[in-house]
Amino acid sequence: MCLILPCLASAAEIDPLALVSGLQRELPARTAYTEVRFSKMYDRALVAHGELEYLGPGKLGKRVDKPYSETTTIADGEVTIQRGSRTPRQISLDRIPELEGFLRGFSALLGGDAQALQRDFDVSGSGSKAHWQLRLSPKDKRLKRRIDALQVDGAGDKARCFSIIDADADVSILMVEDLAAIELPKPLTQKNVELTCRRDSAP
Amino acid sequence: MSPRLRRFTLLIGWVVVLAAVGAYTAHTLKISTDLRSFMPPAQTPDQKLLMEQIGEGPGSRLLLLAINGDTEERLAELSRNFSAELRKDDHFSQVVNGEFNAGMLDDELLPYRYLLTSSFDKTPLDEATLADELGQRVEDLGSPAATLLKPLLPRDPTLEIMKLAEQWSPPRQPLVRDGVWFSPEGEALLLVQTKAAGFDPAAQGEAIEAIQARFAASKGKDDSAQLVISGPGYFTVLVNASTRGESEWLGRLSTVGFIVLLLLAYRSVAVLGLAALPIASGALAGVAAIAVVFTEMHGITLAFGFTLLGVAQEYPIRLLSHRRAGESALESVRGLWPLLLTAIASACIAYLAFFASGVTGLMQLAVFTISGLLVAGFSTRYLLPRVLPVKFRDAADTPGLGRLWNWLEALPRPRWLPPLLLLIAAVMLWSASTPFWQNNLAALTPVPEDLMQREGRLRAALGAPDVRYLLVIEAADAEGVLELSEKIAPRIDALVGQAAVDAAELPSRYLPSLATQRSRQAKLPDRTSLEAMLVEAETDLPFRAGLFAPFLDDVEKARTLEPLTPAAFARSPIGARIDAMLVKRDGHWLGLGTIIGMHDPAAFDTLASETGGAVRLLDLKGASESLVASYRERILRAFVIAIVLLVLTVFIAFRDIHRAWHVLAPMTLATILVLAVLRFSGTSLSLFHLVALTLAAGLGLHYALFFERTTPDAAEARRTLHATLVCVISALLVFALLAWSSLPVLRAIGLTVSLGVGFHFCLSILMARKGRARDAG
Repeated sequence: MCLILPCLASAAEIDPLALVSGLQRELPARTAYTEVRFSKMYDRALVAHGELEYLGPGKLGKRVDKPYSETTTIADGEVTIQRGSRTPRQISLDRIPELEGFLRGFSALLGGDAQALQRDFDVSGSGSKAHWQLRLSPKDKRLKRRIDALQVDGAGDKARCFSIIDADADVSILMVEDLAAIELPKPLTQKNVELTCRRDSAP
Repeated sequence: MSPRLRRFTLLIGWVVVLAAVGAYTAHTLKISTDLRSFMPPAQTPDQKLLMEQIGEGPGSRLLLLAINGDTEERLAELSRNFSAELRKDDHFSQVVNGEFNAGMLDDELLPYRYLLTSSFDKTPLDEATLADELGQRVEDLGSPAATLLKPLLPRDPTLEIMKLAEQWSPPRQPLVRDGVWFSPEGEALLLVQTKAAGFDPAAQGEAIEAIQARFAASKGKDDSAQLVISGPGYFTVLVNASTRGESEWLGRLSTVGFIVLLLLAYRSVAVLGLAALPIASGALAGVAAIAVVFTEMHGITLAFGFTLLGVAQEYPIRLLSHRRAGESALESVRGLWPLLLTAIASACIAYLAFFASGVTGLMQLAVFTISGLLVAGFSTRYLLPRVLPVKFRDAADTPGLGRLWNWLEALPRPRWLPPLLLLIAAVMLWSASTPFWQNNLAALTPVPEDLMQREGRLRAALGAPDVRYLLVIEAADAEGVLELSEKIAPRIDALVGQAAVDAAELPSRYLPSLATQRSRQAKLPDRTSLEAMLVEAETDLPFRAGLFAPFLDDVEKARTLEPLTPAAFARSPIGARIDAMLVKRDGHWLGLGTIIGMHDPAAFDTLASETGGAVRLLDLKGASESLVASYRERILRAFVIAIVLLVLTVFIAFRDIHRAWHVLAPMTLATILVLAVLRFSGTSLSLFHLVALTLAAGLGLHYALFFERTTPDAAEARRTLHATLVCVISALLVFALLAWSSLPVLRAIGLTVSLGVGFHFCLSILMARKGRARDAG
């Protein structure tokens, strides 16, 4: 028992809210990302590259550069999606309240606002300070029907991977910061990508 | 048999016959509440269409529902459950709440989407299109909408179902929150189309009860949520109920007053009951006559009929007031009969004119009133005297009556008074500034202002179609209507662009013509080529091989389908809409497009002239007003004939121009005065005023007839005054109360009759012949 206890104690040391607060960074924050999407509809993982942008509370941007070109910006309760050379589409967040909740949570996470995050998600943490995992489970039933959880892998005060786990178990993993540039594991399976997120970053 | 026993047997017999007739009519007669049976036969095609569209048009059968009083999340969930409940209900042909409903086309109709969609008209379903669409799906699967789309993709990778759903949703979409419609005020919104006609209060009442029951069932224990209903059908029910409620309440009040009056006048409970028998017999006879001749009676006929039958309440009162010592009731009635008969005959002959009007409602009214008056009159003559108790109080001995008589007799009767009154009336009539006729029937039964505002707010929030305008598309067959509808669609879009109208819904929006469907069918690739295209299109995309097999099946099926006809489409939930928009009439077809937010009706004129009238805008309000106007013309004609008949009858009965003049002159002047006062106070006249004027004239005829009569002695003169006073007060009791009603329709009748009774009474005294026996003291 006593041999195991210290392990538990070290796990308990992870205070998820303190972790989130520690993520706070200078504005605006930009990071390149590599997204790997696993779906039952696909016979292989879909890999996309682009840039994530955090411009302050409620203001987010996600640009896809490869394999297609798409820019999604969220500001002032409006989502604007620009695909290739098509005319941009605007959707008011009022129409999709669950998406609003998700984005609010995401924005709170990037902004390090632990309190705001707790309003929309059940937050739990595991791992050590060097390699931690946060699991954000939506409180909103409607959102829960679509998205099972948002999982964050990180090291120190840096997030490395964001995994969006759909209710039907399809998963999309965004690798950010230095992980965005690494060579993807082979074979490209969900397990291997998850391992990459938890492994020591390349020196 | 003793006289007493004989009287009693006769009374029992009378009541038994009444009960039997009552039971028979209650069993056979159906009361119809559909306003249209009280309207004239339509003449023009537009009027015919109007008669159908009043109540049956797609716009007027819509009920607007709003749910409030809870959190947005709860309301959205309730909206979904409630809609599902309503869709199970037979009363409704369509229930929409903004939900995307993949079951809109059932499985069998699903392959038809490739014939219904316009997606591949400009760019065919080829490799390039597929590659583009599939590329977008990869992007969609990376978006938050992914979970919504995933179940559809294998069968419908180009999302035609969603494109059709978007096309079929109301042209101006309300706000969508959490997948269902919301108003800016945060209420969940629903649109429900009833199967019942909008202006059939009984059928609408059932539908509204069904809505309330379903709502109660779906909200369960959550009692904070509240349902708000609006729409033409709801207003019909509401106005009907409040009219009935208020007239019943006023009716009870005036009945009490009437009973007190008769008790005071005749001091006998037995007499009170017996005096009701002739009018009860008349009313039952009238209803029974309609049951035999028409089998169905309109609610309005019943209400108007009872109003007009009010004249008959005079008959027993005359008999009761004119009884005197030393004379049996039978002998008294014999003395009165010539005058009563003149009154009855002239009224009946006048109502014959209504029968000739050719309007079902008015013919029913004539049958009802004539048979009612005859039965009430003859039962007063032949039955009532035989059942009245032998003992009575002479009305001539009523305290104060003699003094009143003397005072009335002493009043000056200047010869210049009638011409002066006529002149004043003429000035009043001339100076009235409001329109003479009230063509808008709805103005008489108005919907409360706050409900109207709510209706406007919900209608705007829902983008629900206008009840007033319809776009009529005429062709030889349904296919022709749909082709024409497709042809003018760009023109309508242009009108929307010019802001002449916010939006319009054409039949072709729901169902393309067979020709269009066939041309789309011909352009669909066969299975082998589609498979090859798909493989090419998927090359750089991660989709699993074989994922889109259901799509290949559906396109292949669509290639060989018989194009969808309106009849086949009508069986599906969404097809009910097209069914309401296509009407077959006398060998040709009409398409009915709904209009949302009309700003410039004149902008549609060019469209009408270009198509030679095959496409035209129908203004239901204008058409209904013209219908009411032409209807009134018929009624007025009937009135003129009625007046001529009445005058002739009075002349023939008296065979004395001088005497007839003394009866008719006060009657005519009083009627003109009522008109003058109404017009001077700004009232526009309606059918209800005309009916009320008729009743007042009928009562006035009685007053004039009896005051004109030469009386053998002072006591008899007092009896005449007694009878007339009882009649006047009882009429005022009923109608002056109505005049205080909050409902314009009841106020119109009440005010007109009260004014009429007052004028007729005063003028028949002031214009009666001089030189009758006076009461000496």
